Amino acid sequence: MKKKRNVAIYFLALLPFLVVVLLYEILPLVMMIVSSFRSEVDKSILFTLDNYITSFTRLAYQRAIINSLKVTAISALFGIAIGFIGAQAIHNSTGRIKNVFLTVLNMTSNFAGVPLAFAYMIILGNSGVIIQFAKTYGLQALANFNLYTSTGLNMMYIYFQIPLATLLLVPAFYGIRKEWKEANLLLNGNGFTFWTKVGIPVLLPSIFGTLSVLFANALAAYATAYALLMNNYSLLAINITGMFTGDMTTRPHLGAALSVVMMLLMLAAILINNFITSQTSKWRWR
Amino acid sequence: MKNKIWSAAIIIIIIIYLLVPLFATAIYSLFQKWTEILPEGFTLRHYVDLLSNRSFLLSLGRTILVCIFPIVITVVITLLALFVVTIYFPKLEKYVQILCMIPYTIQGVILSVSILSLYAGAGGFLGVRQVMLIGAYCIIILPYIFQGIRNSMHSVNMPMLIEAAEMLGSSKLDAFIRVIVPNIISGITVSSLLAVGIIFGDYVLIRNITGSAFQNVQIFLFLAMKRSSTEASAVFVIIMLTTFLITALVLYLQSRDNRQKIESKGR
Repeated sequence: MKKKRNVAIYFLALLPFLVVVLLYEILPLVMMIVSSFRSEVDKSILFTLDNYITSFTRLAYQRAIINSLKVTAISALFGIAIGFIGAQAIHNSTGRIKNVFLTVLNMTSNFAGVPLAFAYMIILGNSGVIIQFAKTYGLQALANFNLYTSTGLNMMYIYFQIPLATLLLVPAFYGIRKEWKEANLLLNGNGFTFWTKVGIPVLLPSIFGTLSVLFANALAAYATAYALLMNNYSLLAINITGMFTGDMTTRPHLGAALSVVMMLLMLAAILINNFITSQTSKWRWR
Repeated sequence: MKNKIWSAAIIIIIIIYLLVPLFATAIYSLFQKWTEILPEGFTLRHYVDLLSNRSFLLSLGRTILVCIFPIVITVVITLLALFVVTIYFPKLEKYVQILCMIPYTIQGVILSVSILSLYAGAGGFLGVRQVMLIGAYCIIILPYIFQGIRNSMHSVNMPMLIEAAEMLGSSKLDAFIRVIVPNIISGITVSSLLAVGIIFGDYVLIRNITGSAFQNVQIFLFLAMKRSSTEASAVFVIIMLTTFLITALVLYLQSRDNRQKIESKGR
């Protein structure tokens, strides 16, 4: 009897957690999915696929999805490449320069969103510091640079991916053993063969894991793009927000459908990553 | 040797690339104008103006306020949940973990609009915008707080410590509060500081849920950007300095913890 009462008390300690998670995580998500199947025009229709059809067929939303995927893919690929080179450099160096680099990476890993967009406007905006410099010295290509385009957006996304990618890849390099490099040299290999035949295959699970984090990070980013381009550029995150808080009429059900599309893209990235990780680790330990 | 020089060169290039936007903006905030090659007219006026600007100080106060509530709530509920789950319902741990990791995949945009559309029309307590905001922040920081607390609970071997305390005549809850919590307090501090960094850097949640009626420093920066770039540059420097301070504190606490672990292992 006493034991039963105890279990009830313990469950009571779990209750606050469950209440918060239910109210602000589960319920909103479930209602969002339910709402995505309701009609935007006719309130009496409870289930329709109209919103999803609109999401994929209307040009404006197609463009938003494509633009989002583009900037996400470009920034994730550049991020992982530079992050790989950076993490390799950390792996090869010791002492002071390594510590300084790690500190800079940690400090700048929180540098994104509105502050990042603002800093880029100061250096590369229409009258930015670097642009002025280029104008004075007649560097035409740089002087004509326009930050308020998809190129500028890509640059900022790549910027915030670099510290994250590098920091996530650093631990993986601890797995590369010195003996392997020596064995590679003994077998007449060089640096190139070591990385293509040994290094990168061994790091592959970490590389894909990092890629999926970078993918999610860029896909969900909102403040950086909004601060730079406001509503003048079509991106999934910007379109979704506009449908709930826009100045004109809001379209919550269509917005819900786009949100579900975005969640599915995230989920796809995670599942692909899990699949590749399980495949590569199977191969590794065989 | 050649390798080392290469690595150093790469590191220096990346450091320069990462620091240029930061330093340029910081220098910009300290001068009257920067339209030629070199900035002209050193001044601290932008900072003096900003720090005597009531609405900026209010936004700073609000940011601190909306940091404290969600972090305290999330730490307490996660501690309780993890305590009960590890000791009494180990089978449930998997589900708690899934619940705590979902926010990773939904992130700010979707979370804010889904909370907004669910509660905006609701009356009473749940319909209050600030309450919605605090709820949303609790969920956004949940993965970080959960991982921090769970990792430190694992590293102190909680079930064994509680058993030992019970043998000495204390109750489980008592043992948890007096033995476990003091032992994992540095893990809690580190994850709370990470959470401060996240909330301090938030723009999308507060913009969507409370709007510009309830400004935090990020919204203030956004609006200042439209008014004057010199004013915004001073706001920028204050935001970045605070963020760096938080990061430095986290790094310091983590390295101290690691040192202690190595020392106790060596003994």
